[in-house]
Amino acid sequence: METRVGETFRKRLVVFYIPLFLFLVALLFPFYWMLVTSLKPDFELYNARNAPFFVWHPTFSHWLQLFQNTLFTRWAWNTLCIAVASTIVSLFAGVLSGYALSRLTFPGATSFGIIIFITYLVPPTLLFIPLASVIAELHLLDSPWALILTYPTFLVPFSAWLLMGYFKTIPRELEECARIDGATRLQSMIKIVLPLGMPGILSAGIFSFTLSWNEFLYALVFMSSPQQKTIPVGVVSELMKGDVFYWGALMAGALFGSIPIAFVYSFFVEHYVSGMTGAVKG
Amino acid sequence: MPQRVPQQAGGNPAGGLTRRAFLSTSMALAAAAGAEFVTGQAPALAQTRTLHVLEWSSFVPAADVLRDQQGAEFGKQAGVKVTIEHINANDLLARATAAIEGRKGPDILQLLNNNPHLYAGGLEDHNQLIAELGGDKFYPFIRDAVTVDGIARGVPYFFGGGANTYRKDIFQKVGIDKLPDTWEEHLAAGKKLKKFGMPIGQTLGHTFGDAPGFAYPLLWSFGGLEVDEKGKVAINSKETRAAVDFVKEFWFAACDEGGLAWDDTSNNRAFLAETIACTLNGASIYFVARYTPEKTVPGMADKIGHFLMPRGPAGRFHTVGPFSNCITTYSENKDVAKDYIRYCHQKEVYEKFLVTNKGYINGPLPEWQEHPMWEADPAITIFRELPKYGRRAGYAGPYDRKAAEVWAKYIVVDMFAKVVQGESPQNSIAWAEQELKNVYERA
Amino acid sequence: MKALPNNAVTTRSPGTLASAEASARHRSPWLASISAWLENEAVLGYVLMTPALLLIVVFIAYPFSLGVGLSLTDKLVGKPAHFIGLRNFTHLFESQIFRTTIWNTVFFTFSATVLKAVLGMWLAVLLNRKIRFARFIRASVLLPFIVPTVLSGLAWLWMFDATFSVFNWVLRWLWQTTEWLFNADFGYFRGPRWLGDPAWAMFSIIMVNTWRGIPFFAISFLAGLQTVPAELYDAGDIDGATGWQKFWHITVPLIKPIAVVVIVFSFVVTFADFQVVYVLTRGGPHNSTHLLATLAYQLGMGSGNLGEGAAVALFMFPFLALVILWQLLYLRKEGSQ
Repeated sequence: METRVGETFRKRLVVFYIPLFLFLVALLFPFYWMLVTSLKPDFELYNARNAPFFVWHPTFSHWLQLFQNTLFTRWAWNTLCIAVASTIVSLFAGVLSGYALSRLTFPGATSFGIIIFITYLVPPTLLFIPLASVIAELHLLDSPWALILTYPTFLVPFSAWLLMGYFKTIPRELEECARIDGATRLQSMIKIVLPLGMPGILSAGIFSFTLSWNEFLYALVFMSSPQQKTIPVGVVSELMKGDVFYWGALMAGALFGSIPIAFVYSFFVEHYVSGMTGAVKG
Repeated sequence: MPQRVPQQAGGNPAGGLTRRAFLSTSMALAAAAGAEFVTGQAPALAQTRTLHVLEWSSFVPAADVLRDQQGAEFGKQAGVKVTIEHINANDLLARATAAIEGRKGPDILQLLNNNPHLYAGGLEDHNQLIAELGGDKFYPFIRDAVTVDGIARGVPYFFGGGANTYRKDIFQKVGIDKLPDTWEEHLAAGKKLKKFGMPIGQTLGHTFGDAPGFAYPLLWSFGGLEVDEKGKVAINSKETRAAVDFVKEFWFAACDEGGLAWDDTSNNRAFLAETIACTLNGASIYFVARYTPEKTVPGMADKIGHFLMPRGPAGRFHTVGPFSNCITTYSENKDVAKDYIRYCHQKEVYEKFLVTNKGYINGPLPEWQEHPMWEADPAITIFRELPKYGRRAGYAGPYDRKAAEVWAKYIVVDMFAKVVQGESPQNSIAWAEQELKNVYERA
Repeated sequence: MKALPNNAVTTRSPGTLASAEASARHRSPWLASISAWLENEAVLGYVLMTPALLLIVVFIAYPFSLGVGLSLTDKLVGKPAHFIGLRNFTHLFESQIFRTTIWNTVFFTFSATVLKAVLGMWLAVLLNRKIRFARFIRASVLLPFIVPTVLSGLAWLWMFDATFSVFNWVLRWLWQTTEWLFNADFGYFRGPRWLGDPAWAMFSIIMVNTWRGIPFFAISFLAGLQTVPAELYDAGDIDGATGWQKFWHITVPLIKPIAVVVIVFSFVVTFADFQVVYVLTRGGPHNSTHLLATLAYQLGMGSGNLGEGAAVALFMFPFLALVILWQLLYLRKEGSQ
């Protein structure tokens, strides 16, 4: 445990342990709440008087209701496929343009760089109404491709930005040596720069994956059949039913919708963090 | 199918299924599954006719179950795969807009009140269906709800309405001997209840059922109108002022002040959790108490009764919003959709639907008011009276797109909500007048 | 400088790649001319940029121009559109709901960003110490940012519920305990109407957005903090500086570049936020928490008034443009120093 100059235990408690503990509680309590609520039987759940923090008679009935009576597994599969596919598409576009913008000089390069950056001026919430008609014209409504092709619009700028930073750190000499040896530009990109930039690519990939999983508005507007929905849209539209919502099943849906992404992310935490910080640094 | 293929180096595996055959079969299956994923539709080999119905998620859970069962029954008879999608009623309009603009989506949209007027451009002509299923016998106000320029854009299926759900035991305890008949009596009763700690619960939030169901009848019962017969905005009147002043007093003296943000489910939960003793609602609170008692305190069902909206100087009114099935113009299964609607209106099928709802809904034709079910449970008999007091939004002007827009924008509800939040009555009414003019007098 | 991996191509024999290319040329003249063409730096540059640019043109630039056109029409669902000029915009300015929404969006974004920056910085400072389970704590701290906003929003919706709010339960318990301790009767306590009262509702959505965004700020600031050389702090200790002084005069100036990028990025995303409001309040109670995004959705999709909805959505553009322009200028100024 690190000790600072002249710091007593009491001071450390007040200045460090307690605030950190409070932050952790504040940040993690809602997840605990999701779990507890999904396990509470109805008579405990809708009783406004008893202590809500614990479950006295846990039940799996809400979990079962989620998996048996709704299309949750289908939604999970949809979300997974769409996230993977749009990550692949955005990495493809992001790697190629990141390489081009950081390693090649060609007229208009700065303008292209700015264009990619400027797309942040046009967020999904601005575009969704006219974009819906574009998607309709392409006959992609209610198809996963509507999302696989539109998610990269907000994934690519970030990936390109991040990868530009990574690629810039790879020494030019490596490529030059390879080209002296007779490699084409394309070969030197594929065989030298990409492998060395793999940590950056992984970072961009995990970031894109989590952002795709999180997306809501496009999925809400473009998808209509229950079989085609993603988890966020499915849980919100089909579990908030009726006069008295099914809170047990709803929280179970929220919980199980979050678990896959938290699970995947846990393997790539370092990449995620370095991706975030790498992008921010520049 | 396993095939015989020429011997390869390394010998055949046992049995007729060779490696190549296995690979090709599994790749074909994977391609089919992939094709389904890629195109979003089942591959042509497996195609059956389908029917996608979008409707609200009923406040009576058993009704949804029955609808799904009846849908499956119809599907079996007609050789069609029927998907009935139930979503929160507040989301129906957004889905309808996306579907009609994108020309893709459900074959049948269930639309509330006179929303068919909003979507007339994308809905079929249902005149023939209406003629087949009852013609002039449909209640006039629900026919107007779907008829745009003489063409019916949907077939009304049922209509619901609200009444005051109250706790008989609590009313007795605080000394309310006679059920409130006028607004003044309702106010007096509410004062006693609030003092006791279980006030009246009313929503003034943006939710499709309970909020307009309170605001519009209250306005009408004091004589207020949104527009006059010529379609001119007429809300700025002394009758409206009387209504607004009343609500201001009523809210703070008698209501649970959290109701500003309640949605259609909040008052149900509050009533069943015993934090309020009286609320305007359909029969769903009673239904939950009676048929899923674990969601509330024991014995609740027997303590529940219902009484009508209180009377004001201009009379007693209820909003009676029809739910209509509307076939979309982009649908590729129009004939199936028509057959499905005919099926739903068949006597035995509809009767089951009516009885399952146990008073929560009324049938679109007067004959359903005579059904013995209404007598069977005295707690819900009063819901049969609602059509007598029914009036529609946009009164006294036509029941058209503009009235639907005003309803969807919650202008009347907000007029009352503003007053309760501290805005002066004059300003609230002036605001509503401006918003109404924006809708009615925009070129 | 990255360390060279052992199989870096420089260790291969010089002739391999040249002969590979030669054999490619031999195999197909068509393939050969394409790869020669791609040797040109400019050509390769354009080719590599194509996928990204194609996506941007088809799914951003084109819909954007459609949206501008749509906002100048009276398009209603299912009906054809007619050009009406700026009438949607003048009509919106006359609507009090729209004016309130603009104020809501600015206030919401500004408050949430300030809170996230301050709390995120505080958490970053805390995380900057060497602690046991540092990696585990960092991973769990990021959870609110990773998990889909709509799903965690649902948990908050339940926590704010009018009848069953866990916060109110705790507050009521405290209230009753205090009553018991002092043997007094303070009357009935209901607790704040988190989503029912317009002011509380705004507070609640700011709180949820802040909760979700703190990890992003914290981790980004942490990375920045870790680049500050320890010697500077030691020098500050020798000079007798207090912790606060060290923070203000050493840490903050060095963090500024990162802070600007993070804050602007977060501002833009928060300004366009949709999910938090959609799940918690849908814009209520009576339009007091509408943001431009949710109002556009309600007008466009909810009432079928697509022209007006597009106009509201477009309104985000000038604000975002100003902010991003400011950032570009600031970074250019910093870069030239």
